Amino acid sequence: MSTPGIAAGPFAHDRSSVDRIMLHVCLALLPTTAWGLYLFGWPAINLWLLTCASAVVCEAICLRLLDRPLRRLLDGSALLTGWLLALTLPPWAPWWIAVGGSIFAIGIGKQLYGGVGQNVFNPAMLARVALLIAFPLQMTTWALPLPLGTPGAPDWLEGLRITFAGGALVDGLSGATALGHLQTELTLGHDAVQILDGHFSLLPAFLGYSGGSLGETSELLILLGGLWLLALRIIHWEIPLSMLLVVALLAALAHQINPQVHGGGLFHLTSGGLLLGALFIATDPVTSPISRSGRLIFGAACGGLIFVIRSWGSFPEAVAFAVLFMNALVPLIDRLCRPRAYGRNGRGKPLMAAKWTSQVKEVDKV
Amino acid sequence: MNELTRMPPAEAGDEPPITRPGLLEAWRERVAYQALSLGLVCALVALALLLGNQLTRQRIADAELQDRLAVLRQVLPQGLYDNNPLADAYRLEDAELGTLEVYPARREGQLTATAFQISTIGYGGPITQLIALDVEGRILGVRVLSHKETPGLADKIEVARSDWIKSFDGLSLANTPLEQWAVKKDGGQFDQFAGATITPRAIVKGVVRALEFQARQSTAQPTEETQP
Amino acid sequence: MSSHCGSPDVTAPRPKGLFNYFSSALWDYNVALVQMLALCPALAVTTTATNGLGMGLATTLVLMITNAIISALRHSISPAVRNPLMIGIIAGVVTLIDMAMNAWMHEMYKVLGLFIALIVTNCAVLGRAESFSSRNPVIPSVLDGAGMGIGFTWVLIVIGGIREILGSGTLFAQASLLLGEHFHWLEITVLPGFQGILLAILPPGAFIVLGFVLAFKRVVDRRRAERRIRTHGELVVLQ
Repeated sequence: MSTPGIAAGPFAHDRSSVDRIMLHVCLALLPTTAWGLYLFGWPAINLWLLTCASAVVCEAICLRLLDRPLRRLLDGSALLTGWLLALTLPPWAPWWIAVGGSIFAIGIGKQLYGGVGQNVFNPAMLARVALLIAFPLQMTTWALPLPLGTPGAPDWLEGLRITFAGGALVDGLSGATALGHLQTELTLGHDAVQILDGHFSLLPAFLGYSGGSLGETSELLILLGGLWLLALRIIHWEIPLSMLLVVALLAALAHQINPQVHGGGLFHLTSGGLLLGALFIATDPVTSPISRSGRLIFGAACGGLIFVIRSWGSFPEAVAFAVLFMNALVPLIDRLCRPRAYGRNGRGKPLMAAKWTSQVKEVDKV
Repeated sequence: MNELTRMPPAEAGDEPPITRPGLLEAWRERVAYQALSLGLVCALVALALLLGNQLTRQRIADAELQDRLAVLRQVLPQGLYDNNPLADAYRLEDAELGTLEVYPARREGQLTATAFQISTIGYGGPITQLIALDVEGRILGVRVLSHKETPGLADKIEVARSDWIKSFDGLSLANTPLEQWAVKKDGGQFDQFAGATITPRAIVKGVVRALEFQARQSTAQPTEETQP
Repeated sequence: MSSHCGSPDVTAPRPKGLFNYFSSALWDYNVALVQMLALCPALAVTTTATNGLGMGLATTLVLMITNAIISALRHSISPAVRNPLMIGIIAGVVTLIDMAMNAWMHEMYKVLGLFIALIVTNCAVLGRAESFSSRNPVIPSVLDGAGMGIGFTWVLIVIGGIREILGSGTLFAQASLLLGEHFHWLEITVLPGFQGILLAILPPGAFIVLGFVLAFKRVVDRRRAERRIRTHGELVVLQ
């Protein structure tokens, strides 16, 4: 990215560029990814490498087919898409989930819309939902955490076998996520308070020693990465804040009204991919509104949808669905919250000259 | 309609436009002609439909009867009956399950088995199953007639996809203790499917209900032959 | 109409001549791929190639019969009441076919049942009645109906086939129910032991596959046009 030498005008450049943003987001994801990889061992490492690599390779093939310069690979957007996708997959998923998901994300979710900056939907979430609908069995089999080096954890060869030979998970090694467990037990008519007492405790869920995808284990590390991005002003505060606030408020309210069925605010905040979604996925600048009020609406609506789908939908987790749904509404939100142009009011009429124009019209009539 | 009426002019007819307005063209403008032609065409269409219904009604009724018989045949072994269970169907009132339609299988007038439909709530909605029991309360067969479970995960309850549903064959309340009537996860003897426990639970529940219903009926009415 | 049509330009005159009425409907004026009509059945029933074939053949039959009737009556139909008349005729023919299929092709009817009745609302049928058979003699109208119907059928078979292979690993499953026992050879298991990509059978899969089929047709048309320019030096407007 070179800045053309323009001499006049109030131009300021803060050296922000696509490459820099992508690099910083990847850096912010690093702690939570490293923790997740440690927790789920070699199969997870294989899956993460494979998803990122296949996303980059797919991007390269698409660029080649479209006769676009290959150096666009260097902007890192394909790497980030693959990375985010890997964070939302079950860590011990077979290799074809990773490759198929990357091809869907890059090929259909991004390049078919016109490449970087043109996509309507978040490509990683699009691929995750497509995978979830296409392969419900593989996408809902969650490995229990077995950190590297602990007894029983798969070594390197075993990890390769799990990822590439597709060994089915033994029952003792798999378990439902907290959200999934709550939903299953609720359908049996059990009490939410009892279910959560036995199966869920706040601190481990927050620090990150729970089953789930790579990106939903440690809320603490995601929060750190997100705060760093906020400090760098790469993401804006409106979407995460409104999204988390709405989910927490709705969940707390529902918990107050009927604790038998609803899990409560802190349970929702520390479960599933909510934090990852709020800080890293919904904030994608391409697929979120431009104006501040638009972003507030977007985040709040995402949060509301997440709570509604989690509570009454047939899938236990809802971040991907909510973000995709709101992505589709972004053009409408942008239209609704068009920023006021300088010197004009919200309707596009000149501010100071309003009186004057009406006088002119009077004159015209005469 | 706007889409259709804007068809390209190129598709207009091959024929030369009619230059001299004939009798027909003059008539076509009259409201009476328009109303009559509409009525006539509707009458003709109705007549054709009547004729078509006349021709096909019997075959359609036969085919639908065969469909229901074919389902019954899956749960009732062929040698067990010489009557038409559908024709002999009767209704039974039950305290827990409400009104049930029961299809009795008889051989030489002797009751050999009964089949009936039962519905339980699964993951995606009601699951309707057809269950056949012999007079001793042993299961002859269970089939799922309709369900809305997740395809690929929980549709193994269909006989076309898996033999799981046949694991009930031959079981009864007498040869299997009540606590064994559950999926393995709940301490019972039936396999659940990977990623789907609610669906097999619902099926097991339905089968147990059917067995208990049969037990209630046979204690209440030892001679079911008296039923019409 | 032409606003959302692919190449070639539909507003260009359609070639005349009896055979052209049939053949141009197969590709250049295809109901689903160029006129973008009848997409509801094209997306809804095409979970297998056999379903697509059955639906396509039923629609072809309806198109030929209604085109023939409306063409024969074209001088006596008053323009003021043409729409209710045409709908009445189409609904009658579709209901007759619905009953006949229920009686004589019962197994197939159980698969397609709901969608047969919906042929009434298939805008391709009314579209052909309105724009072609009410202005042309019987024989061209029947040929037009046959061409449009078969053009529709092959699109349904292609979409259904792709979705079936991806979704369940078979091709033309249950074809013998539709065509009789002699056609058992059509039923192929393409990918044995394949558990299937569920997405392909669900509605989003239909949209994705339709998109790829449309893109493929455009690529083919572009190649054809380029070759024509090279060989004939003709000027063909590309969109």
